[in-house]
Amino acid sequence: MVVLSQDIVYALTGEEVIKKSQSAFYYAGKDFKARVVMRLISKEGKERIRELTMLRKNYGESGGDQKYFIYFYQPQDVRDMTFMVYKYPAKNDDRWLFIPALNMVRRIAANDKRSSFVGSDFTYEDVSGRDVEDDNHSIIKEERLGEKDAYVIKGVPRDEKGADFSYKLSWIAKENFLPLKEEYYDRHGELYKVFTADEVRDIQGFPTITKRQMKDVKTGHRTEVAYQKAEYDIKLDDDVFTERYLKKPLKKWIE
Amino acid sequence: MVKNIIRAIVTFSIDHPKTVISIVLILTAFFALQFPEIKIDTDPENMLEDNQPDRIFYRKVKKDFGINDFIVVGVVDEKGIYRPELLSRVDRAIAGILKIKGVIANDVVSLTTTDNIKAREGVLEIRPALHQIPQKKEELDKLRRDIATNPFLNEKIVSKDGRAAAIYIPIEKKDMSYRIGKEVEEILKSELGESQTFYMAGLPIAEDTFGYEMFMQMAVSAPMAGLGIMLLLYIMLRKLGFVFIPMMDAMFSIIWAMGALIGMGFTVHIMSSMIPIFLMPIAILNDTHVLSEFADRYHAVKDKRKTLLEVMEGLYIPSFYAPLTTAVGFASLSLTHIPPVRVFGLFTAFGIVAAWLFSVTVVPASIMLMNEKGFLKTFAHEGKHPWQKRILKAIGNFSWNRNILVVIGFSVLFIIGVYGISLTQVNDNPVRWFKERHPLRRADKVMNQFFGGTYMAYLVAEGDAPEAIKSPVAMRYLDNLQGFLEKDPIVGKTSSVVDIVKRINFVLHDEDKDYDAVPDNKDAIGQMLFLFQSSGDPDDLDNFLDIDARQANIWIQMKGGDNQQMAEVEEKANVFIKDNPLPPGIKLRWSGLTYINKVWQMIMVKGMLFAVIDSFIVVFLLIALQLRSPLAGLLAMFPITISIVTSYGLLGLAGKDYDMPIAVCAVLALGLGDDFAIHFFHRIKQLYLATGSLEESNTRFFQEPAMAGFRMTLVIAVGFSPLLLSSLTPYVTVGLFFASLMIFASMVTLILLPAVTRLSGHIYLKKGD
Repeated sequence: MVVLSQDIVYALTGEEVIKKSQSAFYYAGKDFKARVVMRLISKEGKERIRELTMLRKNYGESGGDQKYFIYFYQPQDVRDMTFMVYKYPAKNDDRWLFIPALNMVRRIAANDKRSSFVGSDFTYEDVSGRDVEDDNHSIIKEERLGEKDAYVIKGVPRDEKGADFSYKLSWIAKENFLPLKEEYYDRHGELYKVFTADEVRDIQGFPTITKRQMKDVKTGHRTEVAYQKAEYDIKLDDDVFTERYLKKPLKKWIE
Repeated sequence: MVKNIIRAIVTFSIDHPKTVISIVLILTAFFALQFPEIKIDTDPENMLEDNQPDRIFYRKVKKDFGINDFIVVGVVDEKGIYRPELLSRVDRAIAGILKIKGVIANDVVSLTTTDNIKAREGVLEIRPALHQIPQKKEELDKLRRDIATNPFLNEKIVSKDGRAAAIYIPIEKKDMSYRIGKEVEEILKSELGESQTFYMAGLPIAEDTFGYEMFMQMAVSAPMAGLGIMLLLYIMLRKLGFVFIPMMDAMFSIIWAMGALIGMGFTVHIMSSMIPIFLMPIAILNDTHVLSEFADRYHAVKDKRKTLLEVMEGLYIPSFYAPLTTAVGFASLSLTHIPPVRVFGLFTAFGIVAAWLFSVTVVPASIMLMNEKGFLKTFAHEGKHPWQKRILKAIGNFSWNRNILVVIGFSVLFIIGVYGISLTQVNDNPVRWFKERHPLRRADKVMNQFFGGTYMAYLVAEGDAPEAIKSPVAMRYLDNLQGFLEKDPIVGKTSSVVDIVKRINFVLHDEDKDYDAVPDNKDAIGQMLFLFQSSGDPDDLDNFLDIDARQANIWIQMKGGDNQQMAEVEEKANVFIKDNPLPPGIKLRWSGLTYINKVWQMIMVKGMLFAVIDSFIVVFLLIALQLRSPLAGLLAMFPITISIVTSYGLLGLAGKDYDMPIAVCAVLALGLGDDFAIHFFHRIKQLYLATGSLEESNTRFFQEPAMAGFRMTLVIAVGFSPLLLSSLTPYVTVGLFFASLMIFASMVTLILLPAVTRLSGHIYLKKGD
């Protein structure tokens, strides 16, 4: 039997799969709160810890605007630092940072969605989602990964300058559209970063990746992220996401 | 005993020439077959033992701070780089460079890849310095101002005067720099316009290019020298066959030595690439003794077999001991702590032994295969080369009659040499291995005029506990140290985590000059660094601060990479530390490529000195033993000693630095000088035993035996002159030293030794058996 790949007709297009995946991964619930521990691990096994509480609230449709609020517990010298992002899919995010030692809030303008989030192997985009329109998506195959059936989607950046990868492959679980694994290939087509979802739990009916990892295969550096507590639909006030609360966040939200 | 064995070998070769030559050819083919396995090592760092402490530390520094060696590219436009057209050219060139394989794209420092952190209307802006090409004049002026006012960018990615832009290209491995350099060149050639020139600098590219050109030189200079030698040999000996035999033997010994080296899995390093050039004169020297005397004796015998046996009879002992002594001298280099020098010494010794073997097998066998008629025609009459004989006779008379004057003259020469040596400056810099006009030298000069410096050294501050570096006390200390070092004109620029903290503090306070300082509060430092880390590439911080903030790395960009300049900056830091005691728990240690170069060059230079002294002692003992006279042994060291002292003395007087290539040349004197001496003493002894008169021995010595040495001096001194045309100074140096050492060594042998013999010959020759 000869099957040419062009002949396979999928029920969904690559872009639809990615849209559903983003919706499940980054837009679940109306809002969300998690206590997160990030372990930044060097090739030699040296560790740095980032501990934080992350709040997220959706505004509008899945794929629309979002606001993020992050409070840092660790490392020790950045305790009380807070970080706020207004995310707009079609344009640059707005970001604010509170520096407690100087009692100062600063807005930050940066077009660096692909740069590191707090020194980890995750980028800002990995935390809050990459715009679907930034890449051309195509389903290249379907395969079983571990126990799960998955779509394998190839994403090629439309603007090569805007990305540090030449393409990425994503294994998207058919059952819940959460990514199981992602592989990033550099300008020479060599694998350099691998994302894996290591634990998925059902939280209030939302399948949630509670343990994940991003590994830079070239440097051997990796970052493990674990959600210690996670909660959806906690009815976050809008004024959580303001400069005033950036300086003095309410205990009930960040604990 | 030795004599009988060698005589047996020679006789066998005379009787079975074809068998002997076939065996040699088969063995040579076997060694030649190893060549495809060649592994080239162009990394001068390998001059150090793998476990040398500075090397271990440099590896640790590179690992702890994620540092790679880099190439620096400069684009210069006289009209200035702040023009839209030029900026887009540079933008395109950088985009191309990022795609080259082996380039660590994330760490490239340039206009479009390096973030500028600045404050604008209360907003902290973190964007590449050039994130879009400005078109209007105001925008261009703003870009210029932005860069000029950020110490992280000024004089780093754009020169102070705005005429040059730089791109720092970290590469995965140092041995890729030549290839990457070529690709960068292609990109720049196609993207840049006519009014722009570009330059490439940086130690890795100098070192790798040197390695590459070194092999080109081996392929060009060595054969050129070979041709020159052939020509001169022909002029001297007047027989084409006699030119091919020594050249063939030289080739064979090179193939044996290099084949064995490669076959045993050693890498061909800068040092071992010089083996052929060292072997060539030594191998030719062996054969020339036989051939020269054969040519001079033949007319009296008129039979090649008989002539050969007669000539060889007088040569068995000196022609065995001379190369043996040289080989032992080279082999004793294996006692040094410099791995490539060990390999060089051992395999050169092997090549010398092989060359000796050829002189007692291939030479007689080849002569036997030649047509007797040819010899009859060429060598039928004496006096084919009267000028050579006349000169020799004059020399012989002079040294005998004016012996006191000769001794005084050489003593003066020796004293001048010693004085010259006392002036010697030990200094080296791999970029100087290229001649002044070489593009790399020019690039080095231009780039160091425009920018903070292309030579990198690291000063690592190590605390005793994690987070030690984040303390305001430690930060302020490093800040002051940097300020102090930057006052040195060699130091162009320094950068460290302190500069990052100061810049963030400054920018957070809306670019208020008062805040261009280290904050007093430790948490503030931590939070500023966290902000920096959260805003760009985390590697940017890792290059300066290790993972647990226990160590900081100060990058010191220097405008020169001479060992002496490095030592001077080190000394400067020591002065600062003496006047300002280090904060408790903080230690400082140097590293970086410029520093490592200084370390290995110093070890190399000193190591070579001791290696030469060791070999010197070995050679002395061997000769004294052979001649059974310590006095003769001592006298036999004259050619080596005086040629080294005067050659190096002249170098010191000329004000030239004593560097790696020159250090290597000293061993050559051992190889050539002892050959002359051993032949002289064996001959003079034979003649003295035969005649019983010192004067008569001297006269006879200057008839035939001295001819070989005289001829060799001319052949080598002139024959190696093609090396002077090489684009690499070590080859030029070797060429010059070959000539200088040869001339001095033969002057001593032909003029001083007879003069001294007249004074003391009765003492050391009396003991003869």
